[in-house]
Amino acid sequence: MSDRASISHFGRMNRRTLMMGASAGLAVAAMPKRLWAQGAPTLVTSIRSLSNPYHAVWKTGAEAYAASVGLEHVTLVSEGNSEKGIADIKAMLAKTGGNMVLNSDPNDTPDARPIVEACKSAGASVVTQWNKPADLHPRDFNPNYVSHIEFDGIASGKQIAEVLFKTMGGSGGIIALGGLISTTAAIERKKGLDEALAANPNIKLLDFQVANWKSTEAFDLTSNLLTRFGDDIKGVWAANDDMGTGALEALRAEGLAGKVPIVGIDGIKTAVDAVRTGEFACTITSDPFWQGGMGLSIGYNAHMKKFDPATQPPEHREFYGKVVSITKDNVEEYYKNNIDSKPTMDWNDLWGRVTGAIRA
Amino acid sequence: MKSILNMEPKTAMRSFWSRAGKARRWRAFAPLGVLIVLCILIAIANPNFIEPRNLIRVANSAAVPLTLAMGMTFIILLGSIDLSVEGAMSVAAMVLVLLATNDSNANNYGWLAVVAAIAASTVMGLASGFLQTTLRIPSFMATLGVWFIGLGFSVYMLGGSAVRLMDENIRALALSRFLGFPLAVWIALAAFAVAIVIQYHTRIGRHIMAIGGGEDVAELSGINLRRVRIIAFGLAGFFFGVAGVLAAAQLGQSNAVIADGRLFAAVTAVVVGGTALTGGEGGVLNTLVGVLIVTVLANGMILLGISPYIQQTVQGLMIIAAVALSLDRFNLKIVK
Repeated sequence: MSDRASISHFGRMNRRTLMMGASAGLAVAAMPKRLWAQGAPTLVTSIRSLSNPYHAVWKTGAEAYAASVGLEHVTLVSEGNSEKGIADIKAMLAKTGGNMVLNSDPNDTPDARPIVEACKSAGASVVTQWNKPADLHPRDFNPNYVSHIEFDGIASGKQIAEVLFKTMGGSGGIIALGGLISTTAAIERKKGLDEALAANPNIKLLDFQVANWKSTEAFDLTSNLLTRFGDDIKGVWAANDDMGTGALEALRAEGLAGKVPIVGIDGIKTAVDAVRTGEFACTITSDPFWQGGMGLSIGYNAHMKKFDPATQPPEHREFYGKVVSITKDNVEEYYKNNIDSKPTMDWNDLWGRVTGAIRA
Repeated sequence: MKSILNMEPKTAMRSFWSRAGKARRWRAFAPLGVLIVLCILIAIANPNFIEPRNLIRVANSAAVPLTLAMGMTFIILLGSIDLSVEGAMSVAAMVLVLLATNDSNANNYGWLAVVAAIAASTVMGLASGFLQTTLRIPSFMATLGVWFIGLGFSVYMLGGSAVRLMDENIRALALSRFLGFPLAVWIALAAFAVAIVIQYHTRIGRHIMAIGGGEDVAELSGINLRRVRIIAFGLAGFFFGVAGVLAAAQLGQSNAVIADGRLFAAVTAVVVGGTALTGGEGGVLNTLVGVLIVTVLANGMILLGISPYIQQTVQGLMIIAAVALSLDRFNLKIVK
């Protein structure tokens, strides 16, 4: 699962992709209308940046889906700039005359509304992920606004906590490293941890500290916490993998790597490697490859009238996707399918990863 | 006392403060006093603080900030500012991991990678110095530019992801120990020793102080401003490079944001130690104390179990208190 905070961070900082994004925008503007044949819609992916691994994999998934149905695919990059993100989408709508399918990770929560409204008036089909205002609902924009997908931060925080407790044998003290205090992902994941703690009275939370999503801060914090609690620390819960790897290096400096299990969220490669060596107990990922491909697939199937969004149940319109948990039991398989090669996916299994409707 | 009064006109308030000669001497040691009081208070509240294992951890956490702050001290003594810390550090860390054994390419240059990393960041420093003196751009803007160039370059080279450092010898900088302390601590101390020698025993060190004290006077006494400035920024780049290598060795990986927040930490440490942002006052000894204050405070707040939600507030108060104590504020002609 991605943390939105660190993603927007990457987008802001990278200048190279700003140029790439700008030239992509120019390229879109320069394309003649007739390039798009009537009938077959254009698949459009709108994401924040290509400089972070999360969105890079997202794009790979989108391209894999486009290749599987033999359609043209365009990637728009907002570079963390909401105006640019929306303007690029409107330009694409104009060029395609509305005959397009959009899978968007809106840069910011309010952006979803103008994007959806523009798609509605042009007749395009749109799927949004992660960010939308609470009062914006797909059911109010039938049939154009097909679905909205999120991943449940509370469930993720709870799920990794449970794996950690199990690895520790059900009792002992843990330390927890949280993300940037004000972000939704940080708040939700901590809530999940609290729920898991409430259900496991033999686990004691020694201290909760904030490392702002960063491995460097987690490194210093963890070594200080080692002083305060010493051998009482039997496990480390980190709200993302980057902080988890910082904690891991602090443990390694004390000769404790592999002896004190760590859990994190995101499924970054370093963490997956650490699961392989037994230094991480678990990491989970929202599977950006699936997000990139399935968002388009849901939108395309609705666009081609293979199903009518208006008649779909609420949990197909606004839903939490299933996260993929990577533990020592499945890490070799995950590695083989996702890191050594491109994953293969059944793109027609539209609702296979629905875990429930989004909490109001 | 009378002669001082005659030399320059002062307001009543200012002469009141400067007449207090004792207070002035005391001020020079104010940061040290703050550090000692801080240590005593934390040790009383939690005796674990003075346990050797913790002192080693404090030293280890101080290693990277100390090395960085050594470079920053010279720039601030010069009356300039170097914002390129994060850019230079991330370039050094990026060059290191991409040339040493790593999980992204087949390079394996060992210690040559370390040399290349430090050289890269030194060149960035020299370039900032060159830009300022040749194009007459203020250090604030020139180094801001170099910061973004460096950061953009490392994001590009690393492709936005984290690359792991797998050279065991370089990892040993953080993982193996000599006399109980990780090698990184010894390297930081060596950097400190080098900085001491440069400041007190070389011509460039004296020239930096002279320029910081008064650029026009320094120029009239025949100091080559341009040369000193370029060398000082190159020197800073060298220290940032060493810090980048240490940070990558500690974390066992490098990503473009490895240096996030380091600029603020370095400037804070230098200023809290009593070096004036206006230049010409303070030095590397002050900076050592400043780094220790910041590190001990961070360690102490964890030991005392202070809520993460108010730790930043405490840090802010600490900075204001230390700076207020360490300089003769009422004697300043301009506050901006």
